[in-house]
Amino acid sequence: MGIFKRLSWFFKQEKKSYMIGVAGLLIVAVLQLIPPRIIGIVVDEIDTNTITQESLTFWLLILASTAVFQYVLRYMWRVRIWGNAAKLEQIVRKQLYDHFTNMDNQFFQKYRTGDLMAHATNDLRGLRMVAGGGILTMADALSVGLTTLLAMVFIVDWRLTLLAIIPLPFLALASRVLGRKLHLRFRDAQAAFSQLNDKVQESIQGIKVIKTFGQEKEDIEEFSVQTDNVVLKNKSVYKIDSLFDPTITFIMGISYFLTILVGGLLISGNEISIGDFVTFINYIGMLVWPMFAIGRLFNIIERGSASYDRIENLLNEDTSIEERQGAIDAPISGELNYAVDSFRYPDDNTEALNSIHFKLEAGGTLGIVGKTGAGKTTILKLLLREYDDYKGKIEYGRYDIRDYTLDALLKHVGYVPQDNYLFSNTIRENIRFADPSLSQEAVEAAAKLADIHADIVDLPEGYDTEVGERGVSLSGGQKQRISIARAILINPELMILDDSLSAVDAKTEESILSGLKKIRTGQTTIIAAHRISSVMHAEEIIVIDSGKIVERGTHNTLLAIDGWYKDMFEQQQLERKIEGGDE
Amino acid sequence: MEQEELSKRRSIPFKEQMTIIKRILSFASPYRNQFILAIFFSIALAVTNAALPRIIQIFIDDHLAAGAVALQTILFFAGLHLGVTILRMTVWYFELYIFNMASEKTVQNIRFHLFKKLHNLGMRFFDQTSTGWIITRATNDTEAMKDFWHVFLTIMQGVFGVVISLGAMFLLDVTVTLWILIFAPVLLLVIRFYQVYSSRTYREMKSKLSLLNTKLAETINGMSVIKQFRQERRLQKEFEETNKSYFDSRFSMVRINALLLSPVINMLYTLSVVLILAIFGVEALNSPIEVGIIYAFTSYANDFFRPLTRLMDSLSLFQDGVVSSSRILTVMDNEEYVPEQKDDANAKVKDGKVEFKNVSFSYDGENNVLNDISFTVNPGETVALVGHTGSGKSSIINVLMRFYEFQKGEVLIDGQSIREFPIRELRQRTGLVLQDSFLFYGTIKDNIRLMNKAITDREIIEAARFVQADQFIEDLPGQYNARVVERGASFSSGQKQLISFASTIVRDPKILILDEATANIDTETESLIQEGLERMRQGRTTVAIAHRLSTIRDANQILVLDKGHIVERGTHDELISSGGLYKDMYELQNIGLQA
Repeated sequence: MGIFKRLSWFFKQEKKSYMIGVAGLLIVAVLQLIPPRIIGIVVDEIDTNTITQESLTFWLLILASTAVFQYVLRYMWRVRIWGNAAKLEQIVRKQLYDHFTNMDNQFFQKYRTGDLMAHATNDLRGLRMVAGGGILTMADALSVGLTTLLAMVFIVDWRLTLLAIIPLPFLALASRVLGRKLHLRFRDAQAAFSQLNDKVQESIQGIKVIKTFGQEKEDIEEFSVQTDNVVLKNKSVYKIDSLFDPTITFIMGISYFLTILVGGLLISGNEISIGDFVTFINYIGMLVWPMFAIGRLFNIIERGSASYDRIENLLNEDTSIEERQGAIDAPISGELNYAVDSFRYPDDNTEALNSIHFKLEAGGTLGIVGKTGAGKTTILKLLLREYDDYKGKIEYGRYDIRDYTLDALLKHVGYVPQDNYLFSNTIRENIRFADPSLSQEAVEAAAKLADIHADIVDLPEGYDTEVGERGVSLSGGQKQRISIARAILINPELMILDDSLSAVDAKTEESILSGLKKIRTGQTTIIAAHRISSVMHAEEIIVIDSGKIVERGTHNTLLAIDGWYKDMFEQQQLERKIEGGDE
Repeated sequence: MEQEELSKRRSIPFKEQMTIIKRILSFASPYRNQFILAIFFSIALAVTNAALPRIIQIFIDDHLAAGAVALQTILFFAGLHLGVTILRMTVWYFELYIFNMASEKTVQNIRFHLFKKLHNLGMRFFDQTSTGWIITRATNDTEAMKDFWHVFLTIMQGVFGVVISLGAMFLLDVTVTLWILIFAPVLLLVIRFYQVYSSRTYREMKSKLSLLNTKLAETINGMSVIKQFRQERRLQKEFEETNKSYFDSRFSMVRINALLLSPVINMLYTLSVVLILAIFGVEALNSPIEVGIIYAFTSYANDFFRPLTRLMDSLSLFQDGVVSSSRILTVMDNEEYVPEQKDDANAKVKDGKVEFKNVSFSYDGENNVLNDISFTVNPGETVALVGHTGSGKSSIINVLMRFYEFQKGEVLIDGQSIREFPIRELRQRTGLVLQDSFLFYGTIKDNIRLMNKAITDREIIEAARFVQADQFIEDLPGQYNARVVERGASFSSGQKQLISFASTIVRDPKILILDEATANIDTETESLIQEGLERMRQGRTTVAIAHRLSTIRDANQILVLDKGHIVERGTHDELISSGGLYKDMYELQNIGLQA
């Protein structure tokens, strides 16, 4: 029951709605008692020949109006209670979403997408069941159960009632026990099913290997073993699952047995009337659901509170990136002074960056080169405040970047990452991601600078073409250029290209870089690249290896050193020659 | 395919629905007897159900109404009622159990056929279709079939319940039953209304939920972009809009259910009781009647109305089932089969001479990726294929492995067309070592044996020793029985290569096809791999795709491919001295090695 307390914030918030809903439920519970009673009364009047036209009309009118009243009230409480359940789901989903967007990298490394999705779907469903089914069964079981019981005692006969309800607690017990057992077996069946999933996944992913070795027949056999296992596990589920309805029938059957027996004796002894007996039998039928629901309630609550535990766990995670009190609101500008002495990734003992120092004047360009994994992206990540915990400082215009608000910093940095993530949306919306209110002209201008405009116009639906999971698949180079356009569009004070020209050819690269140079006068640029041609025009180039600066200078001074930079440059020159021969 | 699915979401014409259902039902035919048995039990259930009120009615009318009743009689009726209840319970259990098992087996049957079908499809299908799509068809869509079958059970129970309670009423009193039948058109109207409104809202709700989850997944995946552009607040707002609109459709679904589902059925039931009481009451005003019959009628009316709620509720699941079925059938209907061998193919690979004669090949039937390729590899010799990505190297392997059908020319093994060998013979005699070694969940041994039970443990160990994989395997806990987790995540790429070498060599192929890995391999295993490759090539005809040109210097022939043409051919020395593309590539790699 603790879960109701923990969700009390919601119940309080929706107090009025719940009160109306529960009141409706209670009135329905009372109204429900009327039809069996009227049946009993009419039966008695007929039996004793006391029926008159007036009495019949009277009773029938009451019965008909109860029917209509019940309908209205049932509609009302259903909408209230199930509606509230949906609302709770909506609210918690929003909480989760907002929370996710506020979390830092570490959070997303700790929880994989699949896990987060599972919490946001299955656990929300569990919660919805508590707020809807849980409340409903509790209120319903109590109200219907109690009122029916009272009616049985006071309207019919207390002795009969006492005897007839003896088997009923077993109903609650049975539904609880069976429910638990079923849950366990169901989990086994789920596990078997997910094993089957894994098997299919492996077979499809490894289809080439299977074909290569001609093992199709054997693979199908293995698959059969798995499906046999699924059937076996489900068999044990069905053994229990199929017991629910028959068990209710049986326990109720005993109740009926006792009712007929004792009722028959009471009628024979003229203690109750036949009409009372008929009423009573109908009442017993009405007790089935509340008794059964009580057992089910425990299962709903159990699962719901486990779900809420998991959700709260997620919501309690903190982010390490926070804005300081009174952080600077003014956009970054001026000179960038990067002076990081040492940085380690959380949960990693090796030093990712060691003594990286450079200064970049406003309007200047810095090139960063080095092998994959040398630490180029790490340098940029600190600049983007993905991690705040390092020795040293990074200053922008004399202030530490950690003293700015995130808006003041990030809104003025245009970062083009290596992996170009595009959203399932049109190309236009992807380009103006930072500000959907920008005009088509602005979008096109950025696309032209990124040398992607011509490609987009060639697509069947131009800028309206959908990309991402459901849309057209673009080449790596096209994606890169779209994300460059996305960054250009915000006219950033600092533009960072992180190996974001790797999939475009040399000519396109040149045209993009020279175009950028033209419009970005007085604005700062950092280019990290594997390809030397991307950085050779920069005012300063640093060569990174294992998180350290190993060479630095301009293109010409670096060539003179005769080190890694020079080797790389020559190798790439040759590559270009071969590529050239290709065309 | 995704597009196709979206359109299916909308709605499937009735006629097509029927064909789909008919075809999916055919998978249940092996379990016909079980289903028939379940139907029999279902009828028995409805009959016992109808018998119970009848017992009480007779008890009331024939005994209780007549005055004092003997204890014996009372006991008899109570006992009879209990006996029939126990019968009812037994019948019910078997109905549910047998039906559920039969549908479970049907699902298994569908899965089996689907999986078999997948294995009969050619590489083209797998290259073109996303893995996730195929997996979802084979697992989730088949799982959804269970709900589909459950809908049939609900319909069956509902129909029998309604028909038999009506029949029981007819037996009691024809006129009153006919009066009750005036509720039938009202009910049909309610069902129709519900179906129209709920199916629309239900579809809307489902598609909004899937949109909601897509958005959520995309946000998580694209989180770094969102953060860099500071779009958290905007996306939160957008998500909340979708969230709200999902809530709205869920809420209208709640409304529709509250308006047209159990509350309305309940009201109709109570109104039918009004009708029953009115008829009997009016009758009683004129002449005395038996009262037990009133009880029986109200009870039957309950049986008549009750199943309808569940029946209506399951209509939306029915739609889901049709959609899943149609997706399963799309895979079943796919005709991208593996290339066909000749019917009487019975040739055997003896020496392992491989010849390509003027082979042209295209994936799409328009643009040739291989143009007029001719070369010969004599038994025991090595030919190496070099060239850029997209030059056609992999396509030669696709043709030689019969992954794809080629259009022009001839591929010969020992002078006989490749189409004249049974596919199993080809697979056993040609060993392909793939670029990315894929390891399956299981043990090292399983991965070397790869389901071929004829291979002994001894042979496995010998093969591992031959390619020098034994060293690292024997250091593992459990050695050859060491677990391989999902896709071999705990092994280095070099180790995975060595394991796949062993699985190739344990089959002792005549012809070896090597697709050298481009990925960086750890330096420790690098030399083992080179040595392994060399050993494997001894005495085998080898076609090798090479990225590191140094490894194929001793090849008998090197073919340089460019845009599907052979542009240079010769030995290493010949190609270097002629100073073409090969020479450039070779020099480039030498510089790279020094750097």
